[in-house]
Amino acid sequence: MNFRRFTALLASVVAIVLVVIVVFLAAYAWPAVRLNGFHFLIDNSWNLGRQYGTPITVHGQEILPGAHYGILFLIAGTLLSTAIALAIAVPVGVGAALFLAEGVPPIMRSWLSFFVELLAAIPSVVFGLWGYVVVIPFLGHHLFPFMIKWLGFIPFFGGTPGSGYGLLTSGLVLTLMIVPLITATLRDALVSQPASLREAAVALGASRFETMWTVLMPAVRRVLIGSSILATGRALGETMAVLMVSGNALNILPNNIYQPISTMASFIVSQLDSAMQDPTGMAVRSLAEVALVLCLISIMVNGLARVLLYYEGRQAARIA
Amino acid sequence: MGNLTESEVIIGVPGPDRTIQDSVNEASKSALKIAVGHLNFHYGPRQVLFDISLEIPDRKITALIGPSGCGKSTFLRTLNRMHETVNGTRAEGEVLLDGQDIFAIDVVRLRRRVGMVFQKSNPFPKSIFENVAYGLKINRMANRSAIAEIVEKSLRRAALWDEVKDHLHKSAYSLSGGQQQRLCIARALAVDPEVLLLDEPCSALDPVATAKIEDLLLDLVSSCTIVIVTHNMQQAARVADYTGFFLLGKLIEFNKTDVIFKNPAQKETEDYITGRFG
Repeated sequence: MNFRRFTALLASVVAIVLVVIVVFLAAYAWPAVRLNGFHFLIDNSWNLGRQYGTPITVHGQEILPGAHYGILFLIAGTLLSTAIALAIAVPVGVGAALFLAEGVPPIMRSWLSFFVELLAAIPSVVFGLWGYVVVIPFLGHHLFPFMIKWLGFIPFFGGTPGSGYGLLTSGLVLTLMIVPLITATLRDALVSQPASLREAAVALGASRFETMWTVLMPAVRRVLIGSSILATGRALGETMAVLMVSGNALNILPNNIYQPISTMASFIVSQLDSAMQDPTGMAVRSLAEVALVLCLISIMVNGLARVLLYYEGRQAARIA
Repeated sequence: MGNLTESEVIIGVPGPDRTIQDSVNEASKSALKIAVGHLNFHYGPRQVLFDISLEIPDRKITALIGPSGCGKSTFLRTLNRMHETVNGTRAEGEVLLDGQDIFAIDVVRLRRRVGMVFQKSNPFPKSIFENVAYGLKINRMANRSAIAEIVEKSLRRAALWDEVKDHLHKSAYSLSGGQQQRLCIARALAVDPEVLLLDEPCSALDPVATAKIEDLLLDLVSSCTIVIVTHNMQQAARVADYTGFFLLGKLIEFNKTDVIFKNPAQKETEDYITGRFG
């Protein structure tokens, strides 16, 4: 086998594995998809049924009596926590990347950059544990009451602080996990911009900030979009850290940013054990359907990224 | 000295029989744009310019020649304080622009008055229009309609308008190398600088593109003082009114271009221009 064929094989293995996983997931979840129908996406009603009841047949599927599966609260929890994380992480990441690329002396730069990359290398369960032990008590006892007092007039910022587990906490922990991704990628892109661009701006009387904002940032816009999308993927799929700080809400939608939530990824982990007790197997199949929905959302986010980058690329070719 | 014709006025380095005061006196008679007095320049511990004094006349083209590493680019970059963007540099001495100390002027204002074009064309990854408008926008020098007018005027001055007028909103990178360099000149001209510094602007260009830029400089000099660093002695001979010869961080000779090329006073200058080294 020559080298070209070998690499072609390796490349196709990746694609095949992806397709096989999605097909398997869809096939396995199919009975649940038929049972749950569209209500799966719009109901807040995850209920495994009476475990020792006699299985009944609904729509041709055998399930436990009282079993019902609706995951709107999971979709909401996943999307909201990711949105909060992005809303904080993008500006922070951009600021940090600009600072690392332009603001610090070269010797400090390599050290600080090293730490940023180290942050990205920390296993998520460590973030989770740290969130559980350190962040949650602080947020629940100090920051959240403070925010409610001063920012409570803003919709979703008021209410009761709860214990510190919840939507905002999940968003903050996710932020910590994705900021290094955005920062490291963007910093590399900024550093690799030719010095001549900076000189051109400076020679026209641009300040350091103007040079960054009007020349360097537009030049790396595509990288920013790309790294934000990667970060979104990571945040959507993050499991352990969120599981440990989200409060694991069941069947409720948060009505302010302090309330407990669950996300799809962490819910699969936390429910798998109970679901396995279901003799009809429908609970596990419904969890597979959750996984399928999560997969589809991630694929849609990536697709959206392609469209954005394509549009941005066309615009870049036309204007920039 | 009033009885001397212009060609007999020697502007430049104080010689053994002339003092700096003489030079200043002369300068006040001929129109003087930039006066440099005893400029020393250090990169960290290394000194790269030694006691440079010269006077750059207004609305003339002054060429700086010399072998690589002689300090001519460093000297040029000092004139609009571009050297300050590099850590560890230090310039000592006096540089006066219209009699004002450039180190006392706000650096943004200085760079607006003293524009710069670089060795490698460096347009922004923006449209042709946006490139030329950049300096106006960041310096908030004009409103929207005035910007369009100034962009056109600058592109005309840079002899690029006819080639780009139908696709002003295309990427600057779609232009050829020579066009990109003229775009950079237009961009520098848009803020209407009094002095234009050019650092080997043609070194990456073919002879046709080079000729266009040289013609352009000869047109521009009626409205703007030009200082050009060049490796190409023929280029200095073709465009410059005055020429300075740098060697190892020292200004060896500065005089009218004719004199430098036909009758240099210093042995080193003669050796360089006759191609014995460099």
